[in-house]
Amino acid sequence: MSGTRPVQRIAERLIRSACSRLPADVRAERFREWTAELPAILDDESIRPSWLRGLRALAFCAGVSRAARRLSQPAPAGSRPGKNPRWRSGAPRTRPSDAVVRVAIGIGVYLVVVAAAVGLLATRPDHRGWPFLLLVAAGVGFDGYCLADIARAGQVRYLPKWGWALVCLAQTPAGGIAYLCAGRVGRARSAPPGPAPRP
Amino acid sequence: MKLTGPLERVLRVLVADPSAQHYGYDLMKAARLPSGTLYPMLARLQQEGLVDSEWEEPRQDAGGRPPRKYYRLTAEGARVARLELARAAAVPRPSRHVAARPAHDTPGSAW
Repeated sequence: MSGTRPVQRIAERLIRSACSRLPADVRAERFREWTAELPAILDDESIRPSWLRGLRALAFCAGVSRAARRLSQPAPAGSRPGKNPRWRSGAPRTRPSDAVVRVAIGIGVYLVVVAAAVGLLATRPDHRGWPFLLLVAAGVGFDGYCLADIARAGQVRYLPKWGWALVCLAQTPAGGIAYLCAGRVGRARSAPPGPAPRP
Repeated sequence: MKLTGPLERVLRVLVADPSAQHYGYDLMKAARLPSGTLYPMLARLQQEGLVDSEWEEPRQDAGGRPPRKYYRLTAEGARVARLELARAAAVPRPSRHVAARPAHDTPGSAW
């Protein structure tokens, strides 16, 4: 059923893309279930002012996307009724100390990068020549690296993948650093938790 | 069954009226949970036979609204949920909550 409101059509499209991750046998049913929730959200009188309902619907879609990713993962082997200790089979939880370390590393790397960029630009204040080109190339390369990493990652934390992609593109060094520090789920092959974003 | 905070909230809403039918957004509001947490949890509960789902019959008076999927506790689910909630109420706080807080936050040491 196609919605009449623009936000509803956008939301249906987002839900459809989220459902594409699901196994084929449950995809259509989940799509019907989740799109059927949209009118209830968009007509929810308790959300005021009314334009917030559209945002609420989009937030619902983001959650649905996370739900689809979790539902598409096979159930852990040996999970039996009453025996499974992990009800939230989402991204691995980080301990607070780990999160603090990641934030500190991210801020530190960001400051170093900004200081290096400012120092480099100070050599040619007219924004011409190789320092500027080097910075642009480094920025584009770093964005490309982050986007490729997001695309290849099996799962990311805190935001949906497209959210991280937008953050990376919107704030060139900061967004990518934030993704590498916070959003990336650590892998065995990446030795340090911190990033090495710039050449 | 390990009772996490979100799960406890969902079970409380469902147990409040075990025969009531809840659709997803209704549960999200009542349990104050995002959709990304709620739906995987409902799927898990359904897999374990504690929750049942049912499609709403298409109605003429729905004003063109698509049929919803409703969830409710099974008899077994209601039994298990009451048991777990009672057990959670009997234990003051799970130890992980106490451990996660600084020592001065625990009752008794405030002076």
